[in-house]
Amino acid sequence: MSEALPEGVGVARAEHFDSVAQQRYAATLGIWAWLITELLLFAALFLVALITRIEHPEATVEAARHLKFWIGAVNTVVLICSSLTMSMAIEFSRMGWQRAMVRAMLATAALGALFLVLKGYEYYADYQEHMMPFLSGRPYELAQSPASRLFVNLYYVATSLHALHLFTGIAILLGMTWKAAKPGFLGRHQNWIEVYGLYWHFIDLVWILAFPILYVVNR
Amino acid sequence: MRNPIHALSSEDRALLRRHMRKPVLTFLALLALLAVNVALGVTVPFAYTWALEMAVVSVMVALILLVSMEVRTEPPLVKLFSVLGFFWVAILVGMTLTDYLAR
Repeated sequence: MSEALPEGVGVARAEHFDSVAQQRYAATLGIWAWLITELLLFAALFLVALITRIEHPEATVEAARHLKFWIGAVNTVVLICSSLTMSMAIEFSRMGWQRAMVRAMLATAALGALFLVLKGYEYYADYQEHMMPFLSGRPYELAQSPASRLFVNLYYVATSLHALHLFTGIAILLGMTWKAAKPGFLGRHQNWIEVYGLYWHFIDLVWILAFPILYVVNR
Repeated sequence: MRNPIHALSSEDRALLRRHMRKPVLTFLALLALLAVNVALGVTVPFAYTWALEMAVVSVMVALILLVSMEVRTEPPLVKLFSVLGFFWVAILVGMTLTDYLAR
């Protein structure tokens, strides 16, 4: 934040902080500490995907051929668009344009929901193609290639964990939008939008790593 | 509560342009880089395409971190936290792949 905030926009100091600046700093540092743990969680999954590719190249490429590359690509565009609307919400909050900020937050939630709908369709198509090896009652399409199960199962773990983060993010965003639409919000809690924005951009960042590691490099 | 859609003054338009420039440019850069990766993924023009794809992804991640997540303008301790996260990931990936790639 390089520019001074306009009148009526700011943060109400909580009593356990010496100053508003310290309070903002602590909130940003706190969310970063949490995001780092999330980064390590997803990094371990992506690392296992790379190892699976190194150890079982043919089986991984065969399994990756069944992934819906274009849905993954469109979903990446959707999340990049949602990052733009989130950045716009942050900037509107700094400008004191509350209604525009609320609309940008709703647009972000809608784009997040669109991502989940497309992901759900992708899972449905996988189900139709018998690409769910963890379903004991349903034959697996690549049963002749046991090693492919490793990659496919990992794909479901990584993408469903990401989807869970996105779903939680949408729920929190909608709750915060409801609060943010109330008069006086920007005078007391402007930094909530900035702190939440970090989480949303991070979800975007994780998918930007997941798409090439799972869909692109294994083609 | 101000509505930015209707009846913007020239001052407001200038303010809007100033605030939106960075997010819009980042958005366009990310889309362009994604287009490069998708094109590489579809065509696979040479044997080590994956290395170029991962390089493009690294630029995308750096853009999100430095510009969208504003690490560039954060205080030193926040910068340290964000760098440390990726440093630990580098140790995790580096040490594990050293083993697998050297077998």
